[in-house]
Amino acid sequence: MPVVRLYYQDMEEMVGASRDTIMSRLAMMGADIGKRAEEDHVDVEFFPDRPDLYSPEGVARALRGFLDIKPGLPQYTVEQGPIVLQVDESVKAVRPLIGCAVVRGLEFSSESIESLMGLQEDLHWGLGRNRRKVAIGVHDISRVTPPFRYFGADPGCSFVPLDFSEEMTMAEMLKKHPKGKDYGHILQGCDRYPLIVDSQDRVLSFPPIINGELTRVEEDSSDLFIDVTGTDPAVFKALNIVVTSLAERGGRIESVLVKRSEGDLATPNLEPARWTIAAKEANDLIGFDLDAEGLAQCLERMRFGARPAGGDRVEVLVPAFRADIMHSWDIFEDAAKGYGYENLQEELPKTVTVGKSHPSEVKKAEIRELMAGLGYLETMPFTLTNETAHFHNMRRKPEASTRVLHPISELHTILRTSLLSSLLEIFSLNQHHPLPQRIFSVGDVVQKGRTHMNLAAASIHSAAGFSLIRSLADVVLQEMGWQEEIKIVPSEDGAFLPGRGADILENGQKKGCFGELHPLVLRSFGLEQPAVALEIQWGQL
Amino acid sequence: MLSENDSRVLKAISDGQTDPQSIADSLSMKIEAVRASADALGEQGLVEVAKSVEETVSLTEEGRKYAQEGLPERKLLQSIGEGLSMSDLKDPGAKIALGWLKKKGWASIEKGVLKPSGPAERGPDEELLEILLKGSASAADLNRDALAQLRGRSLITSNAAKSWRYQVTSEGRAASSQIAGTAAETISSPSSAMIKWGEWDGAQVRFEGKLYQVRSYDVTLPADRIYPGKRHPYQRLIDHMRQIMLEMGFTEIKGQIVQSSFWNFDALFQPQDHPAREMQDTFYLESQAEIPEYSRVKEMHECGGDVGSTGWGGIWSPEVARQEVLRTHTTSVTIKYLADHPEPPVKAFGIDRVYRREAIDATHTPEFEQLEGIIMDKDVTFRHLLGVLREFYAKMGFEEVRFRPGYFPYTEPSVEPEVFIDGLGWVELGGAGVFRKEVTAPFGIEHPVLAWGLGVSRVAMLKLGLKDLRDLYQSDIQWLRETPVSLRM
Repeated sequence: MPVVRLYYQDMEEMVGASRDTIMSRLAMMGADIGKRAEEDHVDVEFFPDRPDLYSPEGVARALRGFLDIKPGLPQYTVEQGPIVLQVDESVKAVRPLIGCAVVRGLEFSSESIESLMGLQEDLHWGLGRNRRKVAIGVHDISRVTPPFRYFGADPGCSFVPLDFSEEMTMAEMLKKHPKGKDYGHILQGCDRYPLIVDSQDRVLSFPPIINGELTRVEEDSSDLFIDVTGTDPAVFKALNIVVTSLAERGGRIESVLVKRSEGDLATPNLEPARWTIAAKEANDLIGFDLDAEGLAQCLERMRFGARPAGGDRVEVLVPAFRADIMHSWDIFEDAAKGYGYENLQEELPKTVTVGKSHPSEVKKAEIRELMAGLGYLETMPFTLTNETAHFHNMRRKPEASTRVLHPISELHTILRTSLLSSLLEIFSLNQHHPLPQRIFSVGDVVQKGRTHMNLAAASIHSAAGFSLIRSLADVVLQEMGWQEEIKIVPSEDGAFLPGRGADILENGQKKGCFGELHPLVLRSFGLEQPAVALEIQWGQL
Repeated sequence: MLSENDSRVLKAISDGQTDPQSIADSLSMKIEAVRASADALGEQGLVEVAKSVEETVSLTEEGRKYAQEGLPERKLLQSIGEGLSMSDLKDPGAKIALGWLKKKGWASIEKGVLKPSGPAERGPDEELLEILLKGSASAADLNRDALAQLRGRSLITSNAAKSWRYQVTSEGRAASSQIAGTAAETISSPSSAMIKWGEWDGAQVRFEGKLYQVRSYDVTLPADRIYPGKRHPYQRLIDHMRQIMLEMGFTEIKGQIVQSSFWNFDALFQPQDHPAREMQDTFYLESQAEIPEYSRVKEMHECGGDVGSTGWGGIWSPEVARQEVLRTHTTSVTIKYLADHPEPPVKAFGIDRVYRREAIDATHTPEFEQLEGIIMDKDVTFRHLLGVLREFYAKMGFEEVRFRPGYFPYTEPSVEPEVFIDGLGWVELGGAGVFRKEVTAPFGIEHPVLAWGLGVSRVAMLKLGLKDLRDLYQSDIQWLRETPVSLRM
């Protein structure tokens, strides 16, 4: 989740409240405050659904409402500007959408540049799906001359990319520039690359990869040109979030006319979205009891525009920087935050139901009682394993198993189809402890994509022999109520010593096996003492 | 009360035996045991223990030779007869013999001829050699001058040896006769016949005319450690949580480990391009699953269906939904259960293993347990959810709980409960919320679904004091053996 660095002094000035007030209320607005607050700042995590909070300016704006300092819809003026950006048809197949704006009269410090860059990166993550859907470029407009042009350029075009001093072609940037390496895959298979140039063909931006060095934003920059490109209407949300955040620092927003074949568009558009909600529906979901007036007040605290609209209806204006309002319940949640979670009266529901265990858990509990009574210790090994441990080390032929496509390591490539090898792994981890060791596990295995339930038990010590495990198998089968239909026959299982392994058949179907483990199996797990083991499949989901 | 060994040794000493070796032989005991008993008896004043260090003398190899053949001066004297010219004394060894002949005054040299003088009687040194030829002897019993002489000629060697001599005291004699009087034989455990028919008095039993004493033990000494078989401590915690849910009236539900993306993500209104669905977070399988009729889910994702939502836009692909995954949360099981049981009321829970593509370290494992509970009913609200959460956490032993806003993709509103733990402060534990309309509507679920979940392994770390999550799954057997069954969780 995005982490935003908040400097206390800066926040106090922007919010108009003391550090203590801010810190005590921030979490209740919806934030994860890190444990370690530094002397002059604190790092706070904000949720993925609120990209408008990914800057100190956005957080301050929200806090001013939440602390009743300035509730209601934030007002921003967009001046109609003279600048035009022409969208060429050649870029439509690659990255069709673009929104632009100019913000003038800014005063930057190193911290505010840092927070602008942070906002950009967090928006790339939160809204942009790592720049695929949305990518943002910010430029010092004084270095270039409008009108601008957005088109699909030949990959052989060259310019000086940000942080470099020499020209290189766009194709080279994808191979050599760090950002090209990170994001080049987005342009894979395209024969034209998106490019924004000025009237003299000087490059501002090569979205979604890198800006030109020419328009780098420095502390003395005061007028910015912002381009947001992408494949999804979230492009315009991202633009709104950036420009309103800059406006909070005193910038003046000026529109840009984007000329497109499908119709011209002046961006940014900061008109709020209009919703009408019913207080009853909000009350039914949250459980408070508010009239239209009270509900409107809670929403204004969350910086919606809200006013009663007759009966229990409330007309809500959703700020243009909010990216998370998909449904009326999203507005109701904000009303609950505005009301204060701590003010909601907790209550147990009156729903009457009778509790019921799942039959498989009842059976597992019986098996645990039985095995503990027999002196065995329960273990709960991982269900992910690998073919070497699971089949090869057990001298078993690999059988069909559920294989994950991108394992995290060679040790976790398949789901176990039986439990026994996991028990031997536990023995091998515990060789420094006194013998005899007797362990069992009752748990899920996956065969042909379905979950089955097994019991396995194993015992290791110098006197671990066949009669011991035969006794165990007999008593387990009897206690599990199985003895009638069961047949014990010699086993071909390579895990056991020939002549000392047996299969358990239920009506001719193999349900389990037991025996003395083959010394080569023991050796492959690094074990040096005789061991016997048992495994039974007793159910499936 | 004397031990059996002590009684037997005391009896032997009072019968006149004095030497530990002979006592050991007669009682068939080890000499060390006899000495230990005698020392103990000595401390109680029943026996006098005389320890002494004795010098024993024995012959060297050369001494043994002379003892058998005679001293060289004796042999030389016998060989010269009436006289022998010095020039005939060729043997170099004869020089030593000549010195001793003259020193003992057995011969003299006159004008180059060696002649015997006097009777040359047998000396004490020769007698000593003869004694020692029979075996070593105590230096105290031997002629001191002869010892000094032979030691000077390196014909004998001496050893210091410790020896013990025991003598019974009058108290010892009384004690011994008392033992003889009662004549109880010590036994380590009574026979079955003694239990059935013996006449018992304390630890003594008279049986078939004889008196036996059951040996008393030092009960303060520890014995060998034994270990019971038992449930895994983590399983005990899980069972505790199951118990709480059952007490609160929830039905336990189960589901498959392998799930379609449809039930794991799409049914929960997770957009198909959501980061949580990416390969780096989820274990995907090669296989495709059958999915149920999906038109309402597709419509919901693309344009918000008929619940007044905007939807995610874009095109929803059934192919993406068919991809199988290892369930990333138990919610995949919950939503399927709700789809099968859309009529209120439903209260269900599950505790099961879920899978995330995380590299293994002390606080991350690619599989771990999750608890999830849901309540679906008419007229339940977010406020009820908070009430249920407080009750649940209180039953878990977390008395102090607070709620702050959270975010989860399929709930609205969402809440993150925090519990207060001594030494740690407020700790976030789980998440909760009301299922979005976009989640419930496609399955015909018309009433609110209150849902919450938490990572059980995190609770285990807190409750069991573990530092490393892996210890739950790759357990140390000694830890399993020694974690008490009645550990309060």
